[in-house]
Amino acid sequence: MNDGPLIVQSDKTLLLEVDHARAGDARKAIAPFAELERSPEHVHTYRLTPLGLWNARAAGHDAEQVVDTLLSYSRYAVPHALLVDIAETMARYGRLRLEKHPVHGLVLASNDRPVLEEVLRAKKVAGMLGDRLDQDTVAVHPSERGNLKQALLKLGWPAEDFAGYVDGEAHAIKLAEDGWSLRPYQAEAAESFWHGGSGVVVLPCGAGKTLVGAAAMAHAQATTLILVTNTVSARQWKDELVKRTSLTADEIGEYSGTTKEIRPVTIATYQVLTTRRKGVYPHLELLDARDWGLIVYDEVHLLPAPIFRMTADLQARRRIGLTATLVREDGREGDVFSLIGPKRYDAPWKDIEAQGYIAPADCVEVRVTLPSADRLAYATAEPEERYRLASCAREKVSVVERLVAKHQGAPTLVIGQYLDQLHELAEDLDAPVISGETPVKERQRLFEAFRSGEIGLLVVSKVANFSIDLPSAEVAIQVSGSYGSRQEEAQRLGRLLRPGRDGKVAHFYTVVSRDTVDADFAANRQRFLAEQGYAYRIMDADDI
Amino acid sequence: MDRGYRSLADQVRAWPDDRLSRLLVARPDLATPAPQDSAQLAARAATRSSLVRALDGLDRLELTVLDALISAGQTTDDQILNNVSADRHSTRAALDRLRDLALAWDSTGGLRAVTGLADLPLVAPDVSLAGPADGPPALATSPRDATLVDRAGAGAAFEAVRRVELLLDGWGAAPPGALRSGGLGVRDLKAAAARLHVDEPTVALFIEVAAAAGLLATGPDDDGTLGWLPTVAFDGWLAQMPAERWTVLARAWIGSNRTSALVGHRDPAGKVWNALVPELVSPTVIETRRMTLTAMAALPTGEVLAAGTGGPSVLARLEWLRPRRPKSRAAEIAWTFTESAVLGITALGGLASYAGSLLDGEDPSDALAALLPEPVDHILLQADLTAVAPGPLEASLARRLGVVAEVESRGGATVYRFTPASVRRAMDLGWSAVELHDFVADVSRTPVPQPLTYLIDDTARTFGVVRIGFAEAFLRADDEHALTELLHHPAAAGMGLRRLAPTVLISTTPLDVLLPQLREAGVAPVVEAPDGSLHVARPDAQRARTPRRTPDGVGTARDAARVAAVVTAVRAGDQAAAARPAATTETLTPIGSLAALREAIDAGVSVVIGYVDNHGTRTDRVIDPLSVDGGQLRAHDRRADEVRLFAVHRISSVRPA
Repeated sequence: MNDGPLIVQSDKTLLLEVDHARAGDARKAIAPFAELERSPEHVHTYRLTPLGLWNARAAGHDAEQVVDTLLSYSRYAVPHALLVDIAETMARYGRLRLEKHPVHGLVLASNDRPVLEEVLRAKKVAGMLGDRLDQDTVAVHPSERGNLKQALLKLGWPAEDFAGYVDGEAHAIKLAEDGWSLRPYQAEAAESFWHGGSGVVVLPCGAGKTLVGAAAMAHAQATTLILVTNTVSARQWKDELVKRTSLTADEIGEYSGTTKEIRPVTIATYQVLTTRRKGVYPHLELLDARDWGLIVYDEVHLLPAPIFRMTADLQARRRIGLTATLVREDGREGDVFSLIGPKRYDAPWKDIEAQGYIAPADCVEVRVTLPSADRLAYATAEPEERYRLASCAREKVSVVERLVAKHQGAPTLVIGQYLDQLHELAEDLDAPVISGETPVKERQRLFEAFRSGEIGLLVVSKVANFSIDLPSAEVAIQVSGSYGSRQEEAQRLGRLLRPGRDGKVAHFYTVVSRDTVDADFAANRQRFLAEQGYAYRIMDADDI
Repeated sequence: MDRGYRSLADQVRAWPDDRLSRLLVARPDLATPAPQDSAQLAARAATRSSLVRALDGLDRLELTVLDALISAGQTTDDQILNNVSADRHSTRAALDRLRDLALAWDSTGGLRAVTGLADLPLVAPDVSLAGPADGPPALATSPRDATLVDRAGAGAAFEAVRRVELLLDGWGAAPPGALRSGGLGVRDLKAAAARLHVDEPTVALFIEVAAAAGLLATGPDDDGTLGWLPTVAFDGWLAQMPAERWTVLARAWIGSNRTSALVGHRDPAGKVWNALVPELVSPTVIETRRMTLTAMAALPTGEVLAAGTGGPSVLARLEWLRPRRPKSRAAEIAWTFTESAVLGITALGGLASYAGSLLDGEDPSDALAALLPEPVDHILLQADLTAVAPGPLEASLARRLGVVAEVESRGGATVYRFTPASVRRAMDLGWSAVELHDFVADVSRTPVPQPLTYLIDDTARTFGVVRIGFAEAFLRADDEHALTELLHHPAAAGMGLRRLAPTVLISTTPLDVLLPQLREAGVAPVVEAPDGSLHVARPDAQRARTPRRTPDGVGTARDAARVAAVVTAVRAGDQAAAARPAATTETLTPIGSLAALREAIDAGVSVVIGYVDNHGTRTDRVIDPLSVDGGQLRAHDRRADEVRLFAVHRISSVRPA
């Protein structure tokens, strides 16, 4: 028996005891092939998945290394069956290769004939392949490069793409590092991406993904299409690029619902690309408007399904995906793998936080007790009404007031889902509301004022959730939220995890009604946050 | 041999007891039922079925030597040594073995094979004995650290034990039904596989091994239908240390003739084999298993079977050792490899060091125990409401933790999750919030996270708001005083009365017992609801009887005793035959005539037989017997001067001519 920090479970999870002396080494050793699932305070859970193993394979690790790592860090004997399974899974990647053939163009090649035969007989790939060139090579219709990769992944034989990329139209882009410089992990992320060709960089919110994108553009030195979630985010990209690179505002175009500019660097929203009129996507031609040398996907985990289909046709262009999490609520992680590329860089939140770039957050759940009358109303309400009733409990208002008073002076956000409740709160707190109805201009003005410290308190609705930048929020109070999905929590917390001034601790409060469905959602949230390694406390409303 | 014997029976008669015992041990079919004397023993040894069995146990060299002997007719040892192209030493050993097995004997004319052998094909038509017959082929090996093999094997061994426990534990609570054919339904097999996180062949192996170890058997479940239940022995097994438990499983597997690998495959008729059906046995699988493992055990330390070529080389060796064995052997070897790896007997192509002693019938528990994780007595509690036991927990702790939290992941460590449901379950079983707090604080090596404290308190807060109770009868009266009076009556002490409300009492005494007692106490109650009793009972985990099996030691002792008894009987028979006057050499029983005929065949002498023809007339004929087979004697009839067939049952007597 050796005294390793790692315990390999039979359900393919790895438990890493973090207080162990060799835990740091073990974490580094298993990070390339195992996905961090939970990182609570003592024992972190990693999971071995086929995608994770293929990601590792794509990064140049072989099964021998993986098995060796497990054996050398494992505390107990590792079940033989698991080792065999790892070797078999990893051996599946790269049996098939997409290559450029001097005569026939794109071909699917393999030196494992049975695998090729199996694949050729699969219905899923039937229409994508052309003539059989010789026993080990089949022509591929160039337009099917992405679809084929997707289909092969589903068949369990992910292909390695060696077919290369077009250079695209050259355009000089340099990072303007005056008075600031890339953080080491950002430089490393951009570097890993560039060597891998295409792929996804996983960094937590607030870790500076925009800069990784900018660094990737500086590597590519070519015209770039940036796809982002919404207009606000597009403007922020633009500001950031102007500030951090040699690009001028004239070189950067915005392609959204209101403006349609196509410039050497164009930032488009997912929404405009996926707009459909009479069954066609009128803005699809943007993808071919220029000879793009690089395509940047912001928030890959939110990438809508139609974009996947479009991306399938963009396989000859370099693609970088930026995200805080590879976990997709729709489970299409495999599509990200085959269409955008394998994971090229990953840093767990806690590590970046420990490096001091993100303020540690203090998560507190504040429980309010409903008065009997409200409890009765809740108990007799229709199930679909219950959540709203629980979320909008009157008692929450006074709690929020007390919390705001407690953190007087610190930039504070109040986040909620129900507009009535938000307006009511705004009135009580005398603070502006930002919701979906707020015009973009007004929204930006308020954000700017918040950023400059002019306004210390904002009440925001769900729209604030996605890809906005509120750099100086130190306190967030959540009064209601839809269904506590993991992704939403990551976003919410991301708002807070900006580097606080002088390393101040950020506070994240959720106010929940006791003994209601609201508390059940809070339990999910609590689990997610604890799994991410955040200290989580529960308080009674009366104790504030 | 310079002198030689007149017949095989003569030779056997001359053998010392221990040599005769060896023969009976090597060819057990000769000993049951006990032969009357050496003549009968020799006759039986020459029957076709017995010869076939004996041949099955020969290796390639022995068969080659036998082949040479048969073609030579009568010969000498030296001639055989010259004819067989193998080294003289092993050839001589082979000859000795053939003599020991009574397949060859020394006649007056020289060494010769037992008569019946000439008509038997020694090997299957597609196997050739030609070519050099030197020792068994070497195994293809590659170097591998022995400690790594042990570690991987111990890992698998631990998993196997854990999974069998999990399997049977589940079946104790919810037993799967037994099919009419005696097997286990496909659906139950799939469910078990899903529960254990293994594939179906693996779970089929665990099920078969558990059954072979006597931990699983059919028995009536709650409803009286036949189901597969853990046996009483399972409880004893649970109480053992993991290494001892593994030994039980591994021994059962090695000694089991079940072919669990066929589960899920189709039989020749196209029907899918179910696990545990009685038909899934093979007479050869035990031998193949033992020989495969023995071959692996013989590898030097630090060497394992090579990844690609190791399997075929084992097959080649087994084909050499038992050339007559059936075609199914390649499959059986492959099964042995997979199954032994799953059970942790082998790993990475090598036999684990602790498993070697299994083959010699010794106890590997101690050697294995040193490799298994030490039981731990603490857990790590985390804020996401999980608890990690960083190793196998001590049994009592595991049981308690299993009550208050759900198991989320198993393996070397166990991950538990506290949920409102699990905490409530613990409270249902009588844990109080304080006890729960104390328990988690006690066993946790890390501070108890606040969310867990809240979870327990929250659950405790809503727990028991509504109370449900157990009563056999209730007593109701509008007059509160009447009830108070009754409560204070001296006889009330034995009635188990409790006051729920001023006008309601409940009793733990059943209505039919309570009623006369109340009447005796001077109350005149009216039975209000004849159906008012509530019966709550928790079903017990169910067990079947452990099938009786004889311990290994007893078996061998019994065998030895039987062999000794047979030897004695044979000797007595021989003495009797020797004491019989010469005139009565005429034998009158069919077995006796057979023995006499075989003796005559071996000795090549003429005999006079009394033969009853179709008309019932008995005639004496002088014949030269040639062979006996299938109830017919082939012999040269001197009178008719031709070779004829005689029905053995019509031969009434045999005497020397």
